[in-house]
Amino acid sequence: MEKMSRVTTALSSSTVTGRTMFCHLDAPANAISVCRDATQVVVAGRNIFKIYTLEEEQFVEKLNLRVGRKPSLNFSCADVMWHQMEENLLATAATNGAVVTWNLGKPSRNKQDQLFTEHKRTVNKVCFHPTEVYMLLSGSQDGFMKCFDLRKKESVSTFSGQSESVRDVQFSMKDYFTFAASFENGNVQLWDIRRPDRYERMFTAHTGPVFCCDWHPDDRGWLATGGRDKMVKVWDMTTNRAKEVYCVQTIASVARVKWRPERKFHLATCSMMVDHNIYVWDVRRPFIPFATFEEHKDVTTGIVWRHQHDPHFLLSGSKDSTLYQHMFKDATRPVDKANPEGLCFGLFGDLAFAAKESLISSDANKKPYPVGDRRYPIFFFKKPDPTEQFAHVSSALSVFETDLDSNRMDWFVKTAQLYLLSGKPFAELCDHNAKVARELKRPQVSTTWSMLRIMFSDPANLSTPGPNLSKLGTLPLMNSFSMKEMVSGVGTESRLERSKGESRQDNIHLDHSFIFLSENEETEGSEGQAEYMFGDAELDDDDLYSMEQENQAAEEQEYTLPQEAFQLRHEIMDNPSAPEHLQQDKADSPHVSGNEAEVTCLTPIESFSLISISQPLFSPHLPASFFCPIVREMLSYYAEQGDVQMAVSVLIVLGDRIRKEIDDLTQEHWYMSYIDLLQRFELWNVSNEVIKLSTCSAITGLNQTSTTLHVNCSNCKRPMSNKGWICDRCHQCASVCAVCHHVVKGLFVWCQGCSHGGHLEHIMNWLKSSAHCPAGCGHLCEYT
Amino acid sequence: MFVARSIAADHKDLIHDVSYDFHGRRMATCSSDQSVKVWDKSENGEWHCTASWKTHSGSVWRVTWAHPEFGQVLASCSFDRTAAVWEEIVGESNDKQRGLSHWIKRTTLVDSRTSVTDVKFAPKHMGLMLTTCSADGVVRIYEAPDVMNLSQWSLQHEISCKLSCSCISWNPSSSRAHPPMFAVGSDDSNVTYGGKVQIYEYNENTRKYAKAETLMTVTDAVHDIAFAPNLGRSFHVLAIATKDVRIFKLVPMRKESVSAGPTKFEVQIVAQFDNHNSQVWRVSWNITSTLLASSGDDGCVRLWKANYMDNWKCTGILKGDGSPLTGSSGQPTAMSTVVGSSVQTSQNALNGMTAGRIGKRAPFAPPLRQLTSPKIYQHPAYY
Repeated sequence: MEKMSRVTTALSSSTVTGRTMFCHLDAPANAISVCRDATQVVVAGRNIFKIYTLEEEQFVEKLNLRVGRKPSLNFSCADVMWHQMEENLLATAATNGAVVTWNLGKPSRNKQDQLFTEHKRTVNKVCFHPTEVYMLLSGSQDGFMKCFDLRKKESVSTFSGQSESVRDVQFSMKDYFTFAASFENGNVQLWDIRRPDRYERMFTAHTGPVFCCDWHPDDRGWLATGGRDKMVKVWDMTTNRAKEVYCVQTIASVARVKWRPERKFHLATCSMMVDHNIYVWDVRRPFIPFATFEEHKDVTTGIVWRHQHDPHFLLSGSKDSTLYQHMFKDATRPVDKANPEGLCFGLFGDLAFAAKESLISSDANKKPYPVGDRRYPIFFFKKPDPTEQFAHVSSALSVFETDLDSNRMDWFVKTAQLYLLSGKPFAELCDHNAKVARELKRPQVSTTWSMLRIMFSDPANLSTPGPNLSKLGTLPLMNSFSMKEMVSGVGTESRLERSKGESRQDNIHLDHSFIFLSENEETEGSEGQAEYMFGDAELDDDDLYSMEQENQAAEEQEYTLPQEAFQLRHEIMDNPSAPEHLQQDKADSPHVSGNEAEVTCLTPIESFSLISISQPLFSPHLPASFFCPIVREMLSYYAEQGDVQMAVSVLIVLGDRIRKEIDDLTQEHWYMSYIDLLQRFELWNVSNEVIKLSTCSAITGLNQTSTTLHVNCSNCKRPMSNKGWICDRCHQCASVCAVCHHVVKGLFVWCQGCSHGGHLEHIMNWLKSSAHCPAGCGHLCEYT
Repeated sequence: MFVARSIAADHKDLIHDVSYDFHGRRMATCSSDQSVKVWDKSENGEWHCTASWKTHSGSVWRVTWAHPEFGQVLASCSFDRTAAVWEEIVGESNDKQRGLSHWIKRTTLVDSRTSVTDVKFAPKHMGLMLTTCSADGVVRIYEAPDVMNLSQWSLQHEISCKLSCSCISWNPSSSRAHPPMFAVGSDDSNVTYGGKVQIYEYNENTRKYAKAETLMTVTDAVHDIAFAPNLGRSFHVLAIATKDVRIFKLVPMRKESVSAGPTKFEVQIVAQFDNHNSQVWRVSWNITSTLLASSGDDGCVRLWKANYMDNWKCTGILKGDGSPLTGSSGQPTAMSTVVGSSVQTSQNALNGMTAGRIGKRAPFAPPLRQLTSPKIYQHPAYY
């Protein structure tokens, strides 16, 4: 009766008091234990044996049990236990094999009560019976367990595990006569205290030593075991065969395991090495600790819940010579830092998204109890468990796929494949690429190509303008804009000077907007935009018209002579089609480009936007070099906007016309980026073409690495020499097609297993009908 | 418009990371259940799990793919204080027929004494290098000197960041003008510690990584960080997931001399959005770095895009609660909501390149258009 009331008071007081605190010990602790009313803790170690009282704010040393000038080995404790019934009674397991009991009620300084020296090796564990005052159990390295009656001088019974060393012994909470013992060979045995001859039950719980075990405090017959295999397992012992109900994988060998009071599924563990933290697990969620205490700087050796009915206080002793009281509210919760979502953009604009289900279903359109969510129907009728939310989590994974047009990267692939970068006259390349861009609904890019074509084509040799341009040229709107421009021509001139750089970009947009306009005539409000275009633009509409007319005249001619040799773009030579004076201009351009642009830009007499500026040179057309700064800006703009494809394509098509304007490092960067992108999309051919056409040495070098092939002769299977295709040994040609028996010129494919091969097409056809080598060698050929 | 395809991932705990491979045809997921799964996309667009194996003895925080030039290689990192490198073994025809592939562990990196929170391969041009960061604030850079031997990794650099690290991102730029650079984010929740994002740069002279910049304005815990694909830019763009989404621009300033010392950056904050109204957990760039996706505690994925003025706007919200019919392909259950008045026409939104780039000085608003096609899928009415 009196005891009962004490328990409750102790509980009520301890639920509200205390904080996370620690004290320094003189020596590393091996084990700790609390007295039942949770006011005192005993710390035992090789060189320490002390009792501390747990005050509100601190630990206070109450008693040092290591007395005497020359302490015997009996004081060197591997384990300690405070009796849960008798508050003056302690037992220790000594490293010399002694089991010692201590009576705190003794008046003398030396509190040692009884000494049992029956074990031959270190005693790993002592355990009082939970309800029987005089019954003490010990487990030793020598493989024996002994039961002591404290009223007698020696053990009353000895249990031989018939296996290796005993690491832990624990009386069952449920069954008066039963205790569990864990062994170094991974076994757990269940004994009846009345039958020392034979264990009741044995099972293999872990691979490697089982360092600890703990019965569930509620009498459920659950036993938790922890082993060197880093696992904590929970066994249901009520069934005939011990059944593993939960398994927690920790990150280091488990030295101690203690069920958390009042929390059915929680247990605390600490590790024997490497890991200094104390983890509290919810066994239903075995992957991530529910809480972590990270205070210790060395291995934690003893953990104990301060009060058997209070889940908020945990005491721990450590090799770092500290004793801690941990408050549960101060624990770190790894789950809080564990991000509940994963997100990744795919190459084709699809988006993979994984998220905690509670997050994505907690919004407004939450379904009350959807069909799929019948996992834990029992819990609906129980009172909610605060830990429930922690225990049952899962993530939903979904991929958001873009539908056909928006955001997908098809345009990139198509553009890369369809663009022509070389092999045709410059103007045709531009036209072609403009057309490609237009068909892919990229009007801005398309117009850029058209503009480039106009800028850099020799006017005398202008081929057909792109449809866009002719459209532009014939648009009635155009004239009105240009007329306005004429009126405000003076303003324009200053603008041109001022905004040489930035307006170039505008120019490009404006083209876009203009086309846009032509499609939506109602958006007249933006005609000011169009003004810009023709104000700042390098080609005014007169120019356009002249081209247009010229072209109409020259159209047939153009088509009869579609590929004049001199129009072929060649990126190494300068533009051969440029007229003489332009050539010279160009030659000068690299070093005087800035000034020169200023000067030459004023040349065209027809350019009425520049009409008020002095015109030192009379030249019928703008020289191509005039546009270089603009184009450079434009390319940079595209690159900065992420369209490196455009930058590189233009760079290649323009070749020498622009190359000198852009520093090598930048060019190389663009090339690298574009090639990387192409390779991502597995556009190897395009990538190779780009590498070939590039003028950066670092880029062209890409194709010259890893180009050595080691080949075996297909006849004699010996390695070929470096020269030619005639084998040194058998003097036959090694590159004979196994299908048609002709010498292969061009693409030669062969199996790395049997060295046979042949024409790509032949082998492909062959493999459709047979997996075996066409040479008849019996090899199952693999072509990767 | 996005169509959600729900995948029965069958992970037994939270999925912490999803990662596409270089070519976008494979996907890896990792989970607290200590496993990694690899998903392959079939011809008809379905994702099939082709491998699932236990990788660690703790939560697996991140998984990432190496450049395919080095083989089919994955790296994972875990609460168990290790990072591991995995390689797929081909040629086991038996498994192939069952649609499974075999991954074997090539190495375990055990240097960290705390949880390894992120792992990333360095950009390909640097060779085969792997970076880890850990909860105790140490960034480690490993290198495989022989790319054919994935079991040998040497620890090249150990950089202490002082703050608990949560995420790391390499600057993907391959330009020789940009020295190797990475950014580290910290999830330390103490606001008073100042900048939670640090940027480190390799110094050619000292052969060490040195701090180049700390983003002092980011004071809250950072959960994810991502450099945008560079693609020939002269500057760098960095997205940060903290209590909101932030986008920073780092413009390298011209060095007067070639002398030592890290590059100075002009740091501009380009955008900051708290639309998630909660912690933001992940940010991810699309391949052209024109779209940023972010996900937060609100369970939504938000898409961000810059207009022609370099103003970032939300262009879509994707709800994460996929289809009730799991596994049914192409069921349009998630929807994309276009926010704001600047509705992109389908033509403009085509490719992220042309959209809205009308002109820098345009004084007029982009023309408004109603969405002509009913592309917004309403959520099925089961609630």
